[in-house]
Amino acid sequence: MSDPVAQFVFLLIKAILMPVLIIMMVAFIIYFERKFAGFFQGRVGPTYLGPWGSLQSFGDIFKLLSKEDLIPTRADKPVFRLAPYIAFIPAFLVMAVLPFGPVSEETYLFGYQFDYVIANFDTGLVLFLAMGAIAVYGVVLAGWSSNNNYSLLGGLRAGAQMISYELAMGFSVVGVMVMAGSLNLVAIVDGQAGNFWDWYFIPQVVGGLIFFIATIAELNRTPFDLPEAEQELVAGHLTEYSGMRWGMFYFAEYVNLVVISGIVATLYFGGWRAPFEVLDFIPGPIWLLVKICLLVFLYMWVRWTIFRYRYNQLMSIGWKVLLPLAILNLVVTAIVVNVVG
Amino acid sequence: MGLKDVVKKGAFVDILRGMSVTGTYFVVDKVTVEYPKEKLETYPRFRGAQALLTDPETGDTKCVACMLCATVCPSQCISIVGEQTSEGRSHPAVFDLDLARCIFCGLCEEVCPEAAIVMTRRYELATFDKNDFFLDKTALIANQAYAHKELFSRPAGEGAGGAEAPRGAAPGVTPAPAPAPADGER
Repeated sequence: MSDPVAQFVFLLIKAILMPVLIIMMVAFIIYFERKFAGFFQGRVGPTYLGPWGSLQSFGDIFKLLSKEDLIPTRADKPVFRLAPYIAFIPAFLVMAVLPFGPVSEETYLFGYQFDYVIANFDTGLVLFLAMGAIAVYGVVLAGWSSNNNYSLLGGLRAGAQMISYELAMGFSVVGVMVMAGSLNLVAIVDGQAGNFWDWYFIPQVVGGLIFFIATIAELNRTPFDLPEAEQELVAGHLTEYSGMRWGMFYFAEYVNLVVISGIVATLYFGGWRAPFEVLDFIPGPIWLLVKICLLVFLYMWVRWTIFRYRYNQLMSIGWKVLLPLAILNLVVTAIVVNVVG
Repeated sequence: MGLKDVVKKGAFVDILRGMSVTGTYFVVDKVTVEYPKEKLETYPRFRGAQALLTDPETGDTKCVACMLCATVCPSQCISIVGEQTSEGRSHPAVFDLDLARCIFCGLCEEVCPEAAIVMTRRYELATFDKNDFFLDKTALIANQAYAHKELFSRPAGEGAGGAEAPRGAAPGVTPAPAPAPADGER
């Protein structure tokens, strides 16, 4: 087998294996979300299906598949059908730029040169931001096409929230970009080579926190789950969805959770790198997985602790606190990088 | 908003404090009782479905058909028909209790001079058949299995109040009549 053919085969394997692995992971993350929701509230969570209830997600899937798929008569049907996919697909596309191991000429697998990333291209970070922006259309269109007041309000809120937080998110990411001197996620991980004190979460602590808060808003998770605020909007943009269409939104939310945890790990916590150089013998994908799991746990911990913010609080946090801080962080980072480095 | 508040918010003091609370709940023992699999012990004075206690020597019920429980019952769910045994002791020929009407107030147990009718710890009373709520004498005697253990240690003839009261005498506190002769009808 010549090298280009081997590269193509590797690419196919990577492109198939990574979504499949993440989907399997998501099934268990949904289980752990429910289990940990119980634990954080002093309950035990699901216990019946499988050992410690671990097969709960599969039970959920079968339940959702067996449910009636209802489309409201007055709904905008093509858009109503399209919206779940718009929410679902961007999450998968971001996986392509997520490096899960070393990318260089010297890494080999089965005797062939192997890149531990699906697509190694220079503007990976822009792809991530762009896909995040597209995913909002899924929510907004779902809210619009349902022809339901609550859905529409949910969709509008999602749109407004995303506009507010995407700015802070973009500005905080620029700090990392300036430090690494690149938009390529592979180069960003290379910039964090060394022990854990070389990772960007120490110099970029403000930017990292802003990014983390903005991703919570992007993931529509409590305390920023305004688009589906149950107490006010029934289920927001999901009100009219049922069965597997609703399941796709739910699933996309968790795929997004995994992927965004991966992005946070890559930008601020050294990606696939070990916390100590001594531990480099453990392969990169395992370190990335560990970091993703810890971050997902942190997202769950935040979700089951903090109450939902009021809408005006959400907006003032976004515009009056996070955005100025993110710009300040960028200015300071740029000056320091230019003076020191 | 003073400087103190800004620092407090910037350092996520309140949020971290909240997360420490939920984090504590994450590790401590859980409060859930997985009901069908595990059941809580009832308290010693729990008032479940009634039971008629029997005399361990004769095997006959302790009840002397005095009608006090039937009289005191606020929802009038007890109906008794008394009769004389061959030894001249009065006992209930019929003792019916309608659980569908019972309000589980426990007055029948309190008033009984013979400590014959007791509330038990049996609380799983849901059924598909309304007739299951109608407890006759056999069913009430069978309910003894659920009776609170310490009630068995009360010797026969000792009412709810009196410790030294002679058999069949009224308990000291309530001015209850002596064991009524069985007159059958209410």
